[in-house]
Amino acid sequence: MKLDDIQPQQVYRHNKGILEALHIDGWLLIGLLLLLATGTAVVYSASGGDEAVIIRHIIRVGFALALMIIFAQIPPNIIYLFTPWLFLIGIMMLVAVILFGDIGKGAQRWLNFGPVKFQPSELMKLVLPITVAWLFAHSQFPPSYRRLLIGAVIIGFTASLIVVQPDLGTSLLIAMSGLFVLFFAGLPWKVILAAITAAVASAPVAWHFMHAYQKQRVLTFLDPESDPLGSGYHIIQSKIAIGSGGIQGKGFMGSTQAHLEFLPESTTDFIFSVLSEEFGLLGVITLLTLYAFVIARGFYIASQAQDNFTRLIAASLTMTLFVYIFVNIGMVSGLLPVVGLPLPLVSYGGSSLVTLMISFGILMSIHTHKRLLTD
Amino acid sequence: MSEQLNFNSDAETHQQKRRFRFRLYFAYGFVLLLFAFLIARMAHLQWINYERYHGLAEGNRISVETIAPTRGKIFDRNHVLLADNQPVFTLSMIRENMDDIHAFELALMNLLDQTKPEKIEKYFKKFRKWNRAKSYSLPFSLTEEQAARFSVMSYQFPGVTLTARLKRVYPHKSSAVHALGYVGRINMKELKKLDESVYRGTQIIGKSGIERFYESRLHGYPGVQQIETNARGRILRKLETVPAKPGEDLHLTIDIKLQEYAESLFGNMRGALVAIDPQNGEVLAFVSMPTFDPNLFVDGIDQKNYDRLLYNPDRPFINRVINGQYPPGSTIKPFIALGAIENDYISPTKKIYDPGYIDFAGIRYRDWKRTGHGLVDMNSAIAESCDTYFYELGLSMGIDAIHDSMAPFGFGSITHIDINGESKGILPSQEWKRMTKGKSWYRGETINSSIGQGYHLTTPLQLAKATAILANRGKIIQPHILRWAIPPKPAEQIEIKKISNWEDVIQGMKDVMHGRKGTARKYGKGLPFKMAGKTGTAQVFSLNSAKYNASELDKSLHDHSLFVGFAPVDKPQIAVAIIAENAGSGSKTAAPLAVKVIKRYLADKMQSKDNQKIKQKSKNK
Repeated sequence: MKLDDIQPQQVYRHNKGILEALHIDGWLLIGLLLLLATGTAVVYSASGGDEAVIIRHIIRVGFALALMIIFAQIPPNIIYLFTPWLFLIGIMMLVAVILFGDIGKGAQRWLNFGPVKFQPSELMKLVLPITVAWLFAHSQFPPSYRRLLIGAVIIGFTASLIVVQPDLGTSLLIAMSGLFVLFFAGLPWKVILAAITAAVASAPVAWHFMHAYQKQRVLTFLDPESDPLGSGYHIIQSKIAIGSGGIQGKGFMGSTQAHLEFLPESTTDFIFSVLSEEFGLLGVITLLTLYAFVIARGFYIASQAQDNFTRLIAASLTMTLFVYIFVNIGMVSGLLPVVGLPLPLVSYGGSSLVTLMISFGILMSIHTHKRLLTD
Repeated sequence: MSEQLNFNSDAETHQQKRRFRFRLYFAYGFVLLLFAFLIARMAHLQWINYERYHGLAEGNRISVETIAPTRGKIFDRNHVLLADNQPVFTLSMIRENMDDIHAFELALMNLLDQTKPEKIEKYFKKFRKWNRAKSYSLPFSLTEEQAARFSVMSYQFPGVTLTARLKRVYPHKSSAVHALGYVGRINMKELKKLDESVYRGTQIIGKSGIERFYESRLHGYPGVQQIETNARGRILRKLETVPAKPGEDLHLTIDIKLQEYAESLFGNMRGALVAIDPQNGEVLAFVSMPTFDPNLFVDGIDQKNYDRLLYNPDRPFINRVINGQYPPGSTIKPFIALGAIENDYISPTKKIYDPGYIDFAGIRYRDWKRTGHGLVDMNSAIAESCDTYFYELGLSMGIDAIHDSMAPFGFGSITHIDINGESKGILPSQEWKRMTKGKSWYRGETINSSIGQGYHLTTPLQLAKATAILANRGKIIQPHILRWAIPPKPAEQIEIKKISNWEDVIQGMKDVMHGRKGTARKYGKGLPFKMAGKTGTAQVFSLNSAKYNASELDKSLHDHSLFVGFAPVDKPQIAVAIIAENAGSGSKTAAPLAVKVIKRYLADKMQSKDNQKIKQKSKNK
């Protein structure tokens, strides 16, 4: 067979690498793997070299990567078809949690399916932004006020179902992921400004409706030294860990704060403190650069997406990732109140890692499933 | 449809894309701005304030430790120690701080010459993989001598510390274990239910018996202490201490000397014995045989020992006193007789002729004495345990009247003794059968029921309680094991029309022991006091559905031997119920055993009274 005989289509197929065949975006994958490797190393140190912990972590990372690859295979138009149903199922499960959920730490967040425990709010982290994107799939930029209002109602309704669990932190984060879709769909600037003004003004009202432990968190956040052996303890110890890392850090496995057990949850919520203590400011800058790279790649994917639905999903999921990073680092460094939230891709693997990796799978799917622009 | 049009209009799509991209740039700008803000924050902490935080981390030496409370001790009624706490020594290790783990491992093998080196090796293999910064305590305890030998060479092994803790010890070993119970390590299920603030620092919890029932009183409340450590976590000195509040010491009603004596009388027999002081419901002896050594459970029992106990065909784990449900046999005859004369079913003096059987609905029900007892009145019916008399009596009363005459004595309901998980037995009635079996009562079943067979099931504790109430002539008592546990309240009384009815029934029981034809007259002879009793022999229809092997089968078909009794008749000080499993007739095995226990108790009591008198006399002088 002569080279000239080969059809253009076949050339394309022939050159298809393994990544492309698996619908995987190489740049994004590199960024993720670097972050996951960093996380594994820091979890190892934070656990004091506990082999059992690290093996469990690696198994979970592997499982999450596999899920990412699986979701990368699902074309966006299939997701589009199923979106209303996924949303309905998600809402029903949230209602089920309120009615029959397991109560853990004063809040009922889990559904118990025999051996499997499941947190429906975790599912909603993905389903809500996708649902709002579905709503704006065919609308103009900027969309009509009527449609914006429908979107706002969907977001508010979902968030309120999670607030009553009660889980204020998660409900705010989920609401935010939906609001990002509105923003990228073209929510007018004047509306955004008005909303921010209203939010600031209504803070005292929100305070009134908060649970005692939530109020305590806010108070401690404002003045951690007021309760140095109570709830302010974590923040103080975390700041000591970060600050004592200096510019270069104490070196791998050198975190005295974690090893002497001054740091709480050192493998999960407070892993950033361990990383800063061991790798210093340079390590922090490197980590944030990696994150900035992954976020840039997510936005690039959004900019290259072919339709409203996929570009809104890509942009809002990427933005949500950023929020998680910012909230976690802000929390452990004393900028934000303590909310139980792991550092994306670095903390000891839990259900949030799975959700995150599925969202990256969707991003990859968006980037690799494109209609040929022949018409 | 208008929405669809947007896709077709290229110019507009292009414009929309541009607007969207602008928002992307804006968002990314926002992201980078906030990242810069985070980096500024980090620089503030790690660069500008580095010295301060570095100092704080170095000085981060004050940590808070929990002090576990000392568990309350348990004593018997004469202040004999039943559950004690003794110091044991253990070593705890932090891998990060250890120089040479292997050297320590070898030194340990040398030190603990009793423990197999393979066990130590196995533990260290695991230890090398665990959290290097955490402290782990060795699962082997050291004797005082070994601890002393280690402290001499401890300087060679940084990262290893010698700690002393208190361990629960039961000096009387297997005696009274079913009443006393035992402690063991807290398991996951218990951990979920416990109040963390009370149980931090505690590793053991009451698993059964008194140890479990009074867990909250025995446990106490933990204290805290602030300790100063060096940067590597070694304790330098103790700062502030809030001491732990120790658990309460408890005194039981059990007389451990009587308990051990009763246990020794059982020998290899299975069964149960309960002795109660009828005046106040104090349980003097609580015997369930066979027993086991509770000390095995304190540090966690090994699988081999556990299996040996669990699969022992004699079932030592079963608390026969409260969970053994046995047919009471003839021991319930006095209670039925009382109900009969009280409600005028029969007069105590009325004589019935016993040919050795009765025929009912074509079935012949035999007396235990084939030839019959001849003419019997109520007194001789109890004293000689005439079955035929009670067959006739039962038939004329009916099952519900039998039920009503026994229920006030506590048959068929739990006694609310201070041990968890009591069984309530069965006191049959027409309604009971309808509710549980869904069938109506047959009169033929009444015949069996009137001699304590058929559906009747009682626990030894129920029998003892009923006997005590009978001894009290109706004053109801509440059996309990913790001394001074029951706040004094007006005692309830079983009301009766004719006070002499009590004495009629009790006279029958007295004649069991002292009468010319009494079933236990052999053992009543020559007693320094008068006692009342009733023998019982229960046909076995398998106590529990445990599978016995062939050689055991014969033995397990033997009758249970029962006896209830109290003494002295006029001023009762002890009431006893006893069941010896598969030991034949009540008069043969159970009766002599009970008599011995009663005799010993009253003799001891006399003696201590005499001692007191002597003391008082010497004081007066």
